[in-house]
Amino acid sequence: MQMLSLVDLHKRFGDVVALDGAGFNVEPGRIVGFLGPNGAGKTTAMRCVLGLVSPDQGEVLWNGATPTQPDRLRFGYMPEERGLYPKMKIREQLVYFAELSGLGRSAAAAAADEWLERLGLTDRANSKLEELSHGNQQRVQLAVSLVHGPDLAVLDEPFSGLDPLGVDSMAAILRELASAGVGIVFSSHQLDLVEDVCQDVVIINRGRVVLAGTLDELRNRSGHRFLGVSVDNQPWSPDLDGIETTTSAQGRRRYVVDAGTPIDQVMARAMADGVVTRFALEPPSLTDLFREAVGR
Amino acid sequence: MIRQVFLIARRDFLQRARSKAFLASMLVIVGLVLVMGPLLSLQNRAPSPYDIGVVGIEPDGLDASLHSAVRLFDRRAVIHRYESLTVAEEALDGGSVDVLLVDDREVVWVEEADPQLEAVVAAAFGDIDRRKVMAELGLTEEEASRLLSPAQQRDSSTLQEPDPDADAKKFAAYAGNVVLYISILMFGQFVLMGVMEEKSSRVVEVVLSRAQPRHLLAGKVLGIGALGLIQLVVLMAAALVTLSMADIVDVDVGALGFRTAGIVLSWFLLGFAFFSVLYAGLGATISRQEDLQGVAMIPVLFLLPGYFISFIALENPDALVARIASIVPPLSPLVMPIRTIAGSVPAEQVVLAVVLILAATYGIIRFAGRVYRGSILRIGAKVRLREAWRAARADE
Repeated sequence: MQMLSLVDLHKRFGDVVALDGAGFNVEPGRIVGFLGPNGAGKTTAMRCVLGLVSPDQGEVLWNGATPTQPDRLRFGYMPEERGLYPKMKIREQLVYFAELSGLGRSAAAAAADEWLERLGLTDRANSKLEELSHGNQQRVQLAVSLVHGPDLAVLDEPFSGLDPLGVDSMAAILRELASAGVGIVFSSHQLDLVEDVCQDVVIINRGRVVLAGTLDELRNRSGHRFLGVSVDNQPWSPDLDGIETTTSAQGRRRYVVDAGTPIDQVMARAMADGVVTRFALEPPSLTDLFREAVGR
Repeated sequence: MIRQVFLIARRDFLQRARSKAFLASMLVIVGLVLVMGPLLSLQNRAPSPYDIGVVGIEPDGLDASLHSAVRLFDRRAVIHRYESLTVAEEALDGGSVDVLLVDDREVVWVEEADPQLEAVVAAAFGDIDRRKVMAELGLTEEEASRLLSPAQQRDSSTLQEPDPDADAKKFAAYAGNVVLYISILMFGQFVLMGVMEEKSSRVVEVVLSRAQPRHLLAGKVLGIGALGLIQLVVLMAAALVTLSMADIVDVDVGALGFRTAGIVLSWFLLGFAFFSVLYAGLGATISRQEDLQGVAMIPVLFLLPGYFISFIALENPDALVARIASIVPPLSPLVMPIRTIAGSVPAEQVVLAVVLILAATYGIIRFAGRVYRGSILRIGAKVRLREAWRAARADE
């Protein structure tokens, strides 16, 4: 069941084409990694979902219909350009944004207190935002986008600027929300992180979605595998026709082979050359898929 | 979505009302107004008597002549006599007396003659000299008194009934005008800064994901407008208190004060509605402090002509330029209240002025509202009005 659908979105800003027929779906309880090079159209697509930008063509559907303003209050949004009121106390900000999202005064106050506790900021409740460290400001920003208990969270680069502990706690919160049935779309340039956190991936390039599906599907769908072999602790070449050599993220030499390559024959040849000390046949990583999809 | 507007208005109102800068400025203004009353009383107090020093030979009947001359100016005189010239001059120099009469031949001042006192002294000496001549001519005391008795008063009248409160009304109009100009400018600029700060802190995108631009615009204008209204009410109340304490001659401060306050508050609302929306539209085109001065000047260019013409209206409420400017927006919010407070304006002119400023406000809401929508999410360089206009159309 699709909760959110972006259908054939087109948007131009003057001569710049931001979206050129982009479309994808988000299901409840799924975490979607929304990837693409800079300027690919991620932020514009997210802004279309929130109604901040109206597409020139195409539509955004929420449970099969055009979202109304009350529907959109059930979305949580964290923009790429972070920002809250610098001189406002953080608890007041949380209550304010929760109320603005439709919660009553006491429900908003309860939700604000719950989030402050969850993020370990209860003792800073009456501090002004500008008095907090950068990391804590990021946490408040996340809390603001989720304080009203949204059904859909749209997060633009939520991991940027976080230290490893911040990344872990952010990932934990996203998983927790997803397990409660919240649909999550987030963009990121940290592909290893995306690979770790999300179940679905959408890759956009030049305003079009060039790859979309579950991570496993996309890996299996790829016509390539990566082969890494060492014989007598030395890198070993399979000596196949037209073989391409690449380097893995860890700096190891790898060979790109077709998915249908008879691996047992390659293995037999390697064993004939000496003692096989390493033999790895891997599906493409998200970084590989991304490079392949955007052609870079 | 009235709730969104209310929440936004409440936030803007409370954040600004609680700021130390606002509270301090409010205290200073109210303090100044409260001090003004006692100062006015001081100015209006009955003038002190003239102190006149006399030394050496003095003519007969000097006291009587001086007292009778000083009465012509509604003043009193206290006469001090000195034994020696040195002591008398010390008294003059030390300020104990205002003038010194020496030996019936010389009048000595400290530095410069006081014109009124000079006239008093001249009249007194004229009286003494005439009495002396009349005695020489052999006139009896009664004949001399008849000759010197003041001329018989003729009835004086005016063609039009004078307004006994004219001066007080003029003062009220002047004060109302300054307060209006400062309030519209100050709270308009609060709107401008509020809009710009939301852009520069990037919070606007978070707000707009939960409220429409028109709700944000309306909430901001209403919240800051309410704050302006409260400040004006406090200011007016302080002014009424201080003026009623300040014993101003024969003016019903209450009636005039309430009328002035009513007119100023009404025109504040009308003027603020127009200018705050203009300020908001302009504020949405910028997101950097350095661009603030440039756009802040634009509404001032619309406000200043009205402010200048209001001084013409103050002197002559029926001058042609005042009559026109009091009806034409956006000059009317500063000129019509002056004319209404200082003089009397036909009701149809007031109604026309109100209708026109409301129509102009509707127009500015359409224009500035669209500029606001078209530029509010564009952070960075100043957005040109034409681009903002087009961007808003593309988003409709």
